Amino acid sequence: MYTVHHKESFWAKYIFSTDHKIIGLQYGITSLVWLLFGFTLMMIMRYQLAYPESPVPFIGGLLGDGGILPSEMYNSLGVMHGTIMIFLGVVPLAFGAFGNYFLPLQIGAIDMAFPKLNASSYWMYFVGSVIMVIGFFVPGGAANSGWTSYPPLANIATMGQTVWLFGMVMLITSSLLGSINILVTVIQLRTDGMTWLKLPIFVWGQFITAFLLILAFPPLEAAGVLQLMDRLAGTSFFMPSGLVVSGEVMTNAGGGSPLLWQHLFWFLAHPEVYVLILPAFGIVTEVMANNIRKPIWGYKALVYSMIFLGFMSFIVWAHHMYLTGMGTTIGAFFQTTTMIISIPSVVILTALLISLWGGSIRFNTPMLFALGFLPMFGIGGLTGLPLGLAASDIHLHDTYYVIGHFHYVVAPGTIFALFAGIYYWFPKMTGKRTNETLGKLHFFFSFIFMNGVFMPMFVQGLAGVSRRLWDGGEVYAHAADYLYLNEVMSVSAWLLGLAQIFFIVNMIISLKGEKTGEVNPWNATTLDWTDTTSPPLGHGNFEKIPVVHRGPYEYSVPGSKVDFIPQSEKG
Amino acid sequence: MGKIKKLLPGGIWFLDPPKDISLDGYRIDKVIQYTDFVITLYFAIVVIALVFFIWRYNSRKNPKASYDHGNQKKHLIMTVAMGLLVFFSIDVVIETMSFKDLKEAFWNFPKGKDVVRIEVMPQQYAWNFRYAGEDELFGTDDDIVPSQNIMHIPVNTPIVIQLTTYDVIHSFYLPNFRIKQDATPGMVTAMWFQAMETGQYEIACAELCGNSHFKMKGYLTVESEEDFDSWLGSLEPEGTKDELDDWGAEEVEGVPEFWAWAWKELK
Repeated sequence: MYTVHHKESFWAKYIFSTDHKIIGLQYGITSLVWLLFGFTLMMIMRYQLAYPESPVPFIGGLLGDGGILPSEMYNSLGVMHGTIMIFLGVVPLAFGAFGNYFLPLQIGAIDMAFPKLNASSYWMYFVGSVIMVIGFFVPGGAANSGWTSYPPLANIATMGQTVWLFGMVMLITSSLLGSINILVTVIQLRTDGMTWLKLPIFVWGQFITAFLLILAFPPLEAAGVLQLMDRLAGTSFFMPSGLVVSGEVMTNAGGGSPLLWQHLFWFLAHPEVYVLILPAFGIVTEVMANNIRKPIWGYKALVYSMIFLGFMSFIVWAHHMYLTGMGTTIGAFFQTTTMIISIPSVVILTALLISLWGGSIRFNTPMLFALGFLPMFGIGGLTGLPLGLAASDIHLHDTYYVIGHFHYVVAPGTIFALFAGIYYWFPKMTGKRTNETLGKLHFFFSFIFMNGVFMPMFVQGLAGVSRRLWDGGEVYAHAADYLYLNEVMSVSAWLLGLAQIFFIVNMIISLKGEKTGEVNPWNATTLDWTDTTSPPLGHGNFEKIPVVHRGPYEYSVPGSKVDFIPQSEKG
Repeated sequence: MGKIKKLLPGGIWFLDPPKDISLDGYRIDKVIQYTDFVITLYFAIVVIALVFFIWRYNSRKNPKASYDHGNQKKHLIMTVAMGLLVFFSIDVVIETMSFKDLKEAFWNFPKGKDVVRIEVMPQQYAWNFRYAGEDELFGTDDDIVPSQNIMHIPVNTPIVIQLTTYDVIHSFYLPNFRIKQDATPGMVTAMWFQAMETGQYEIACAELCGNSHFKMKGYLTVESEEDFDSWLGSLEPEGTKDELDDWGAEEVEGVPEFWAWAWKELK
C-alpha cells in the first residue's frame, strides 16, 4: 500500500496525476466543457430550423454568406452535436468522471487497479476530443454524413470524415483502457467484507457498463479503421461494385457492403444506449436511497435486472435496421428481443418507484433531479416501443419521433442523473456545499424547457417530418401544419441554455465559498462518505482501510439511535 | 385553437395523422395508436404513484422511514410479476399486432398480372422511375422512364417497387401511405402498397444523402386506370430516345446506359 504524502509539483499533482480522484476531476471538467460546446452547436442548428434561411444573430459571420447557416455546415453541426454529446460529454462524465472518482472510494480501494493506464486513458480521451473538433477547421468542414457515418456517403465525404474517424479511434481506445481498469478494480480491489451483494448499485452500474464497453467498442473500432482504409488506402470494405458518384465511376469501389458498416456500428451503438443509462441508474439509486432514508427496495432484483439488461443489449442492435432490406427473419428476431428488453427496464423503474413507499423523503437539489429522472426516463423508454416494432417503425423510422425518443432517454434521463450526481457529490469533492436555491431553480427551469424541446418532436415525428432536414421540413406539404413547433422547440432550447446559467453560477459561487468542515453532510452510509475526509486525502484515499460489515443502504434501522448505519460500522 | 388541437389529442396520440390513402396504412396507425394508449396509461400510473409518494412520504409528513429491503422471495416475485404483466399486456399484444401486419401485408408481396411493377433508382438528389412497358420486362427498349421525380400509379392496384442506387443510401418514404424503404447500393430492396384514393402526394427522402438531402422530393400522382394508361402511353420508350444518359451529365464510362435490373420475384 502506498500512502504518499510528499510534496508534488503542480504539474505532477494536477495535470499528469495518476490519482484516480484527480483523473476523475479532469474527466469531469473536460466533459462538462464539451457538453456545453455540443449544446451550443445544437442551439445554432435550432435557429436555422425555427427561422430557415435567416441570418443567425451574433455568430452569423462565422457560418457563411450573409450569416445564413449553409446546409453542409448544418449537417456538420448535426454530426458534431451527436458525437460530442455522447462520446465527448455524457460517457466521459458518467463513466470516466463519476466512475473514476467514486468507484474506488465506494469499494474501499486506495486507487484504481492501473493508475498509469488510467492517466493514459484520460489523455487519449483529451487528444481524441481535440482531434474531433479540429474537423471544423479542415477543408470542407467537420464530418457531415450523420453521426452514424453510413457509407458510401461517409466514404466519399470531405476530409472532416477522416478527422472524425481518427478522433473516434482515439476515443474508443480510451474507453477500452478505462473499462479494463474498472473491471479489474471491482473484481480485485474490493475491501474486506465488500462481497458482491454488498456493493452499492452505483458500483454495479459502472461494472456492467465496463463490460458493455469492452465487448461492444472493439467492433466499432475495427469498423472505424476499415472505413479509414476505404478513405485513405483505396480499399473497399463498405463500397459495392459499380458505385457512381456525381457522374464519376468510383474506381476503388468493389465487393464491399454498406450494410456491414451498419451492423458493426449498431453492434456498438445499441449497447452504447445502456452505457449511457446504467451509470445513471447507479447515481439515481445512490441519491434516492440517501434521501428516502430507507433501504432501496429490491436490491437483488435491481442487480439481476441490470445484468440481464446488459446482456440483452447485445442482441437488439438490428432494430435500427428494419428498413435496410436485411431480411424478414432477422427482422422478426430483433423485434422479439427488443420487446423482451423492456422487462428488466420495467423491473428497475418499479423497484426505484416502490422504494419511495414508506420513505421519509428529503427534497434537496440532487433528489429533485433523481425524482425528475424517473418519469422522464419512463417517457424515453415507453416511446421506444413503437420504434422496436418492425411494422410501426416503417412510418416512424428516421423521423423526429426517433429524435424525441432517444433525447428523452439521454437528456432529461441520463443528464438529469448526472446533475443529481454532481450536486450530491459536490461536498465530497470540495468540502463545500452548493446553493440550494440556485440548484432548485436550475432543476425546475431545466425540467420545463427539456419537455418544451423534446415533447413536440413526437408530434412532428408522428406527422412524418423527417430528421436531418436543413430547412426543418419546409419543402414538404405534409409537414406544413407542424412546422410552427420548430419555433416552440428552438425557443425552449435557448431558454434551456439560459437555465444552465443557474448551474454555472452555482458552481462558481460554491467553489469560492468556505469549507464547511462536514465530512458526511447527507448522513450517507457508503464508504465514500463515511471513511474519507472531504475532499479525500491525496494518494491513498483512506487513513485506515475500511472493512465492510453490512449492505450499502442501512437507513432507519429499527433500534438504532441515528437513522443511518455506515457500511463500515461493526456489529 | 387549431394548433392546440393538433398538439394535444391530435398530435401526441396520433389521432390526426397525415391523411392515409393506402390499403394497409391503417394497420400502422392502429399499432401506433394502441401502443400510445397503453403507454400513456402505464405512464399515468407511474406519475400518480410518484406524486402520491412525494405527497404522502415527504419527511415532514413521515419523519420516520420504514425499514424494508424488499429482498424477500415474495418481493422478488412481485417485481418480476410486474415486469411480466407489462410484458404481456403491452409487448406481447403489440408484437402480435406487428407480426400479423407484417405477415398479412407488408411482407406479403402480391404477385400476378394485376400488379404494377416499378423500378426506383434514387440518386443524389432526385428520383428515377422505370416502368417495364409492353413486354413487362425491365431493361428492354420499350422501358418507360418518365422525367425525374415524377411517378404515376393507378388507384386500387397493388404496386410493387424494387429499389437500388448507384451512389449513396436513400430512403423512399410515402408519408400518406405509411411506408418507407431504404435504397442501398449493391443490393435490391422491395416494398409494396396500394392507393385507395386519387390525388397528388409527396415522396420524401428519409435517409441523409448529402447537402441537398432536404429538398430531394418527388411527386406521386394517383389516378384512374385509364388516366394512368394514357399517361404511360404518352411517354417515349427508352430505346427510341437519343439521349441514353439518365445521369444528367455527359456519358461517363461505367455508368449503365440502362440502369434497369432484371426483376426478381420475391417469395
